[in-house]
Amino acid sequence: MRPTMSLARFKFAGYLRSHRVIQPFVGLLGVMIILYSMRVPLGQELSSYADSAALLVPVFAWAARGLLDTEPDVQRLISSTAAGRPGREVAAGLIAAAAVNIVLAALALAIPLIIGFTAMPGAPVLLGGLVLQVFSLLTGTALGALASRPILRDPATSALTMLGAYAAILLVSLVPITWLTVPVIAWMRAAHTPASLNQSLAGLSAITVFWCAAALLAYTYLRRTRP
Amino acid sequence: MRLANLSFRYARRAPWVLHDVDLDLPPGTIAEVTGRNGAGKSTLLRLLAGTARPTRGSITARPPVVGYAPEIFPVAQPFTVTAYLSHMAAVRGIPATTIGPWAERLGMTSLLDVPLGDLSKGSAHKVGLAQALLAPPGLLILDEPFSGLDEQTRAELPALVDEVAAAGGIVVVSDHQNGLAGHPGVTHLTLENGTAHASGATRPATSGQSIIEILVDTGDAEAVTQKLQAEGYDARLQGEAP
Repeated sequence: MRPTMSLARFKFAGYLRSHRVIQPFVGLLGVMIILYSMRVPLGQELSSYADSAALLVPVFAWAARGLLDTEPDVQRLISSTAAGRPGREVAAGLIAAAAVNIVLAALALAIPLIIGFTAMPGAPVLLGGLVLQVFSLLTGTALGALASRPILRDPATSALTMLGAYAAILLVSLVPITWLTVPVIAWMRAAHTPASLNQSLAGLSAITVFWCAAALLAYTYLRRTRP
Repeated sequence: MRLANLSFRYARRAPWVLHDVDLDLPPGTIAEVTGRNGAGKSTLLRLLAGTARPTRGSITARPPVVGYAPEIFPVAQPFTVTAYLSHMAAVRGIPATTIGPWAERLGMTSLLDVPLGDLSKGSAHKVGLAQALLAPPGLLILDEPFSGLDEQTRAELPALVDEVAAAGGIVVVSDHQNGLAGHPGVTHLTLENGTAHASGATRPATSGQSIIEILVDTGDAEAVTQKLQAEGYDARLQGEAP
């Protein structure tokens, strides 16, 4: 575990020192301005967290893809020999990408508390917001990993595929059958009130985690032949 | 370390880069891989290092600590030499104090605070070598290690290779620059048409022995070698001229 975590720190440090780190923060800023330029009315806080979670999926994906693409291709080979086996290099990349996205998600939770909400919401709303950001973070990290350079070499193809996949997820999740994809629209519908979110949480978690795990497994499998 | 029926291609319908390669690399081996451009040398090195998976066949008994120095070290990274090597040392689970002695030996002490992006080709190559040597490697893979190196480090490299081999490590070198030419104890691996031909290690001639050089047509090389061996001479095929 130690080589993997050391390698994740190396990747995280490389990303922080590169210009790429600015891009998702600009995206986050845009989403925050759209959502919180007007104060959120009382009782609408969870709903606004759900909107934020849905809109931040491509931002999380962009951050994950940016982090995984920062390292030169040959450095990945060096890292994988230094870590002892290629699987550790793949795991370290995903851990570092998730770490960046945790920072972004924490900001997405905290910013409305300072500038967006009329009053400080209660614990159920904060907890609901946290769960929705975790859903979004997982979806974005998996999507970004599948669009990263080892999988899709051409940057234009990669960017279009990533944004196209997000648009497809939104469109497919509009239909009433929620298990067809990551149920982004269902998150928003369920987050009308904390009680309604609680009621649907088990089902939404299972479907979201299933699709994210499938995407991450596909990424790990594809990386076996794409060092 | 053993390669059995090793075959590799980049995609399902792509041509085979390597096919049915059988090799035995016992501890202490120094192997020099030669072959034309595109013969699959770098691919073989990556398969040996474990960064690429064989399409068919297997590699067994790969030593746990592998050092891989690439042909071109990737300088487009936002670290100084020290910061980079410290990260690599941490990944290998060894203290950063191991960096100093290697920096001194490879003549790069003055470069430690230089950003990787500001390094010359030769200096960057030294960083690539240093990270591969930080932990004593059981398998050291050097892709064109003599490329761009100054005279002092070129002279030092064969001694480094010998030290790794003497400690029981396997060293595999792809070498267009003939930096190991005449080096004793080197097994020559020639890559041709996707297969590897190994010719025995060139042991130094002992007192009372002489080395003769015979140039023959490639088609006759194997037959001539076998004929000399049948006569009881210590004959080895060195491979095709570049």
